[in-house]
Amino acid sequence: MEATAALPAWRANLATIGALTSRAKNELLRVPGAAIPGVLAPTIFFLGLNGVFGALTQLRGFSTGSYESFIVPISMLQGAGFTGAAAGVNLARDIEQGWLDRLLASPAPRWVLLAGTVLPASARSLIPATFVLTMALLLGAGWPGVDGLLVTYFMVATMAAVAACWGSMLALRFKSQSAAPLMQAGTMALILTTTAYAPLALLQGWLQDIARINPVTQVVEAARQGFVGSVSWAETWPGILALAGMLAALGLLALREMRRTGA
Amino acid sequence: MSGLAKNLRVVQALGLRSIRQTFRRPQLMAPIVVFPTLLLAIQTGGAGSAVNLPGFPPVQSFLQFMLAGAMMQSLMLAGNSGGIALAVDIEMGFTDRLFAAPISRYTIVLGRLAGTAALGLFSALWFLAIGLVFGAHIAGGIPGALLAIALVTATAMAVGGIGAAVALRSGSASVVQGLFPLVLVVLFLSSAFFPVDLMIEPAQTIAQYNPLSLVVEGIREPIISGIAASDTAYALLAIAGIVALGLVLSARALRHRLRVG
Amino acid sequence: MSTAISVEGLERAFDEVLAVQGIDLEVGEGEIYGFLGPNGAGKTTTVRMLTTLLLPTGGRATVAGHDVVGAARQVRATIGVALQEAALDPLMTGRELIRLQATLQGIAGAEGRRRADDLLERVDLAAAADRRVGTYSGGMQRRLDLAAALVHEPRVLFLDEPTTGLDPVSRKTIWEEVRALNEEGTTVFLTTQYLEEADQLADNVGIIDSGRIVAEGTPASLKAEIGHPHIRLQLEEGSIAEAEEICARIGPLLPPVDGRTVLVEVEHGAADIPRVVRALDEAGIGVGSLELVRPSLDDVFVAKTGYHLEHEGEGDGEDEEEAVTA
Repeated sequence: MEATAALPAWRANLATIGALTSRAKNELLRVPGAAIPGVLAPTIFFLGLNGVFGALTQLRGFSTGSYESFIVPISMLQGAGFTGAAAGVNLARDIEQGWLDRLLASPAPRWVLLAGTVLPASARSLIPATFVLTMALLLGAGWPGVDGLLVTYFMVATMAAVAACWGSMLALRFKSQSAAPLMQAGTMALILTTTAYAPLALLQGWLQDIARINPVTQVVEAARQGFVGSVSWAETWPGILALAGMLAALGLLALREMRRTGA
Repeated sequence: MSGLAKNLRVVQALGLRSIRQTFRRPQLMAPIVVFPTLLLAIQTGGAGSAVNLPGFPPVQSFLQFMLAGAMMQSLMLAGNSGGIALAVDIEMGFTDRLFAAPISRYTIVLGRLAGTAALGLFSALWFLAIGLVFGAHIAGGIPGALLAIALVTATAMAVGGIGAAVALRSGSASVVQGLFPLVLVVLFLSSAFFPVDLMIEPAQTIAQYNPLSLVVEGIREPIISGIAASDTAYALLAIAGIVALGLVLSARALRHRLRVG
Repeated sequence: MSTAISVEGLERAFDEVLAVQGIDLEVGEGEIYGFLGPNGAGKTTTVRMLTTLLLPTGGRATVAGHDVVGAARQVRATIGVALQEAALDPLMTGRELIRLQATLQGIAGAEGRRRADDLLERVDLAAAADRRVGTYSGGMQRRLDLAAALVHEPRVLFLDEPTTGLDPVSRKTIWEEVRALNEEGTTVFLTTQYLEEADQLADNVGIIDSGRIVAEGTPASLKAEIGHPHIRLQLEEGSIAEAEEICARIGPLLPPVDGRTVLVEVEHGAADIPRVVRALDEAGIGVGSLELVRPSLDDVFVAKTGYHLEHEGEGDGEDEEEAVTA
């Protein structure tokens, strides 16, 4: 008795990704207050950083006098990192509670299951990003222009996907929510060891070296363009390349872990 | 045995227990020290050029300036985690056993604070060591270092008192845990990470009135320039204030808990 | 009859521990196979290997003709799985869950919805279908899990301890459902620690202990192998040791289940009762109650492993001394 009305593979895969995304939104809609930490964390950081380090723009080397404009893309990316890591924590919880077994015992391909974790995180990251952006604009940050905004949102959503791959990889490797601090710390470290606080020239020795080689620096610069100047393809493509590379690497690692569960 | 002696014995026993608990599980201890260290590294590297700003206090390096802030962050986390540990005790019914015994209720809080103090001491030593390893100079020498350590430990206990009060009132570890973002905000709005005079409004005004700023300055002075009586005095005053607040809140929370059961 | 499940030398090691030590079994199509054993015997590990959730470290297995390692995807398309930890999401409604399962199985939207409705009716969850799973009772959750496992009309159904923790009524309901499914032609592989469940439902039973199959056959043939009934005596007064000594002269003793009971195998069944009673009476030992017990799967278990399945853990030390050899 094989299943009748079976869909062609590509349609079945799309439907599965859609169904898993639909499930992911339950946490936001059915658990009161679930969205708050994801929005609160980057907002607090934005307000705090701005209030504390705002005077840095007085230094030569800053292309803008508005620290809000300088760091709002950082806070948006932080929100993305947080959301992505949270997706990893949710996956760990699903593993602990046996839910993942249901997915693994079905004929759905492993990459589809991974996509069903990563894509919702990507979409969800737009919520804290928009919140932080609104606050920043109210506090005097410069309007990035429609092109700047699109580039920033693209960077944010893709960064969330990268973070979700990182979190998923750890979740599948350790099969426990206790890996959560590592998920969060990893994305935080990645985003902050860049030109997050100040332009490259003003960073202290060792951080400057790290920021130079950290691919996320390209993402930061690309996301920041509209806020501190104008948008150009030359400033954008390195960010896209960096994200593509990280997504490929971490995505493959996460997929490998997914395939290896049960080994 | 007199009541006081008995109570002291209990405080000692609970204190040892809470110290053992703290250091027996390094994976819980790590975030209290590791996150502030990470942040210290990043902020020093990222905002370190701030020392060139006009009006920045004379320091040997930005790291030297930031050590106090890192210690504050660490001790606030320690106080928070002490509160969480007490809340877990309440949730598991351990405190009921203590309440039913013929001892003073305050021993429960004081015993817990011993663990927090130990953690505070540890983080003070840790960050002083980090500072020395990375070339920061303790201007006040050994006396200065000792003063900083003493202030950090005292403040850890004071903050722990507030955490304990919240734990007693709510009886829930997740409520105490939820305080953590608030803790971070309060710290940002102080002189922990930047000279108050160079902060942006409205953060600047808030930081000027934030008692934590007094504590931070008290810890910072011995490191960046040497022991100063007035800074130390103000810091002690602020700590006393926090202790008083913690005592009042704890007393009320204890009464509430005993009424509610 | 063709083979639904075929297992050869299947092995699974976790670090140093061999949880499943080379088992062989065969389940025919349309059969209900009961995998019986205590906690920790290796039942769940075996099921996880057969449902492709765990890789074997030795041996091979095929389900519905597909190799569980080499053709895992095909296996997943033909099996339905209801695991011990009901893999449910408390935030979803029952209906959403079955629809999700349908999507996972590649069933088109409208058809999936129709099947979900039918299945919810079938397991008597239609009324609760739009409530969150987190509000369901244990029995409801199991029924939902079972319904979800059926959405793609699987050829082979794996049930890992389907009624553990359920009240007797819920248990009966699940049993009825399993029988009905089997009548429709579904092969069922179920694991259980309950003798009655294996006895009542299974066509064939495999008894597993410490990672090995110690006995296999139909419930009737396994019990016939053991042969003799036993007398179960509850003592009112007198020493247990003395009573055991006396009874041992009449027939072999079985491991005791508690401190006031003696179990003695009797070759002639009821005819041996007067002998036993007389002998104990002469020794001044008071018998509270006496019962003739015909062989059960527990007896089979005891004969093969030396301890009871359903009262394991009591009188462990004594068990080893008085273990009966078959």
